[in-house]
Amino acid sequence: MIRGAIAIFRRDFKKFRSNPFVIIMTLFMPIMYLVIFGNAVGGTIAGVPIGVAQEAPYVNETPLFTASVDMLTHLAQPGKADTFKVTVFSSEATAKEALADGKVMAVAIFPSPISNTHAVRLYVDSSDYTTPTLIQAGISGVLQQLGSRTPLQVTKLYGDVDYIQFFGVGVIVMAIFMSTMMGGGLALIRDRELGIIEGYLVTPVKRASIILGIIGSGTVKALLAGTIIFGVDLLVTGVVIRNPEDYLLVMAVLFIISVGITSLVVALSSRYTNQQTYASSIAFLNLILFMTSGAFYPTLGMPDWLRWITVINPESYAVHALRALILRGQGVGAISGDLLAIGLFSGAAILLGITTFRRTLE
Amino acid sequence: MTPNAKTADEIIRIEHLSKVFRTRDRTVTAVDDVSFSVRRGEIFGLLGPNGAGKSTLIRILTTLLTPSSGEARVDAYDVAREPEQVRAIIGVCPQNSTLDLDLSAWDNLEFYGNLVDYPEAELGDRIRTLLASVDLADRAHSKVGTFSGGMRRKLEIVRAFIHRPLIIFLDEPTIGLDPEARREVWEQIARLNAEETTVILTTHYMDEAEKLCNRIAFIDGGRLIALDSMENLKGLIPSGDLIEIGFDRITDDAIARIKADPRVGVVELRGKTLAVQATDGGKLVPSILQLFEEADLPVTALSIRSPSLEDIFIYLTGKGFGGGEEKAAGTVRGGARA
Repeated sequence: MIRGAIAIFRRDFKKFRSNPFVIIMTLFMPIMYLVIFGNAVGGTIAGVPIGVAQEAPYVNETPLFTASVDMLTHLAQPGKADTFKVTVFSSEATAKEALADGKVMAVAIFPSPISNTHAVRLYVDSSDYTTPTLIQAGISGVLQQLGSRTPLQVTKLYGDVDYIQFFGVGVIVMAIFMSTMMGGGLALIRDRELGIIEGYLVTPVKRASIILGIIGSGTVKALLAGTIIFGVDLLVTGVVIRNPEDYLLVMAVLFIISVGITSLVVALSSRYTNQQTYASSIAFLNLILFMTSGAFYPTLGMPDWLRWITVINPESYAVHALRALILRGQGVGAISGDLLAIGLFSGAAILLGITTFRRTLE
Repeated sequence: MTPNAKTADEIIRIEHLSKVFRTRDRTVTAVDDVSFSVRRGEIFGLLGPNGAGKSTLIRILTTLLTPSSGEARVDAYDVAREPEQVRAIIGVCPQNSTLDLDLSAWDNLEFYGNLVDYPEAELGDRIRTLLASVDLADRAHSKVGTFSGGMRRKLEIVRAFIHRPLIIFLDEPTIGLDPEARREVWEQIARLNAEETTVILTTHYMDEAEKLCNRIAFIDGGRLIALDSMENLKGLIPSGDLIEIGFDRITDDAIARIKADPRVGVVELRGKTLAVQATDGGKLVPSILQLFEEADLPVTALSIRSPSLEDIFIYLTGKGFGGGEEKAAGTVRGGARA
């Protein structure tokens, strides 16, 4: 009995040792969780873009305004970067415009010297997580320090956004990534292993048709996954999208990202011959893209070395665009930058997918 | 090149074909200067041990590999330069099944029908006909994963035949099948051939080649060792047939008289059996029997065995089909003609 057990033990161990890549990856994963997750979540949020302006009619800058702007600009946690990146707007209207466009995350309107209300009005983008509270705390702290009795009136631009609503948007994008990377890529490697792809090659079917068919089916599957999770997200989190145009824009974003991810997966799975190696690489890629996408914690809280990943991470642009559409009801104007980014990513991924997959057909 | 009178009855023409695989640390010549042609409508067998180069040759002919040197033409098309035209006229049934086990028999055939661009309006009828021809009509909508090995093989062969190709390549079509299933696959191959399809068959089962093939090519170490019909290949072995005669008693005189016949080679006494190697054994047997009768020696048993392909292969290469390590002579002998 013991001999059989030892035999099985040794076989498993031999196989384990013969694939060092998988071993490294399995050790690497928890370390990456520690480093990336640890840094991505709960970091000190800094450099939050906010706008300030003084209420009309404008006479001259009140001492409260000047002092507050100065204090806000230099506000920082010990040993950290400045908490806010303050932009001074010349009028309330231009400041609010910047807020609506998502250029700043909050606007503080200071009272005019001849105001009746004598209140600082704070308009805050409530679709983000943590930052609205941080901004509010920062400004009331400044007012308190200045000994001002001026009350703070807070207006949440998008109402009270629960964490689940904030997070839900990220899950839609994650659904597309996960389903494509795990399902589509593994199926493709298996088909190649079984010689099914080679079976296509002895038929008169065009190489381009094979690629088109594979990317096409993958895209539709990814889009389907994204749409289902989008529907579930709306039901579970109770977000209401009022503008029908936004539905179309959401679908457009999901489509572009689905084509891109599917093509990327086609490219990756063309380079791997081993399902296990592929799966561990993909798990790693999935982790790093999801963690740095801002899906569950604002990217502002990440250290710089992680934030450069968010800059090249297509998932973060998709999350940003979907948040603008789903939580903030902003139109195409607010997501044009995101659309450009994911469009570029998808275009590049399609080219990469086609060329890499073609090579496996030679 | 326009097809001339000579190529009209040759559907495949291979000239000085070689395929060399180079990896960092070694170079393997899988196909080594092979030339031959296949006639239209025949069942052509490619025989050889594992690793002989059969599969590489098939992969070149089915456009999956390009030759390192030499030329291969399928019908009027060059495999390296006009692969798409070649693919349209061939059907391929690879050694490892590429059926989709999660799909039904019908779906598998429909899928391939679309890949080979079979006229859509007639595809349904074609699939029905093909499934009926292999007795799978009642299982058309079951998943292929539930099929037996023999059923899968038959399905895969008709799948390769869906667009009525001029040539069908069958790579080890009966490997792993039980005798009953093998017999059915053989019948199916013969039926396909009756529809004027040329069949190229690789196998390392001698009986399969003997039963099915019009002509047989022996491949070993990437080279063509011999190519001819079964009858002519048998003629290559000088000893010819083996006749075994059982007896109760025998005289030296009788043995001497048997040996006197010019057709007789080695005569060996094995206990109560006399083993006679002879050319044209079938015609020799009556005279031997007569000789025994005249000497009043009763014959208790009689068998005549023609050399099998295995015997021929051993004779040509000096090694068995199990694939010994010693290198074959590697020359084209006897009836091999391009």
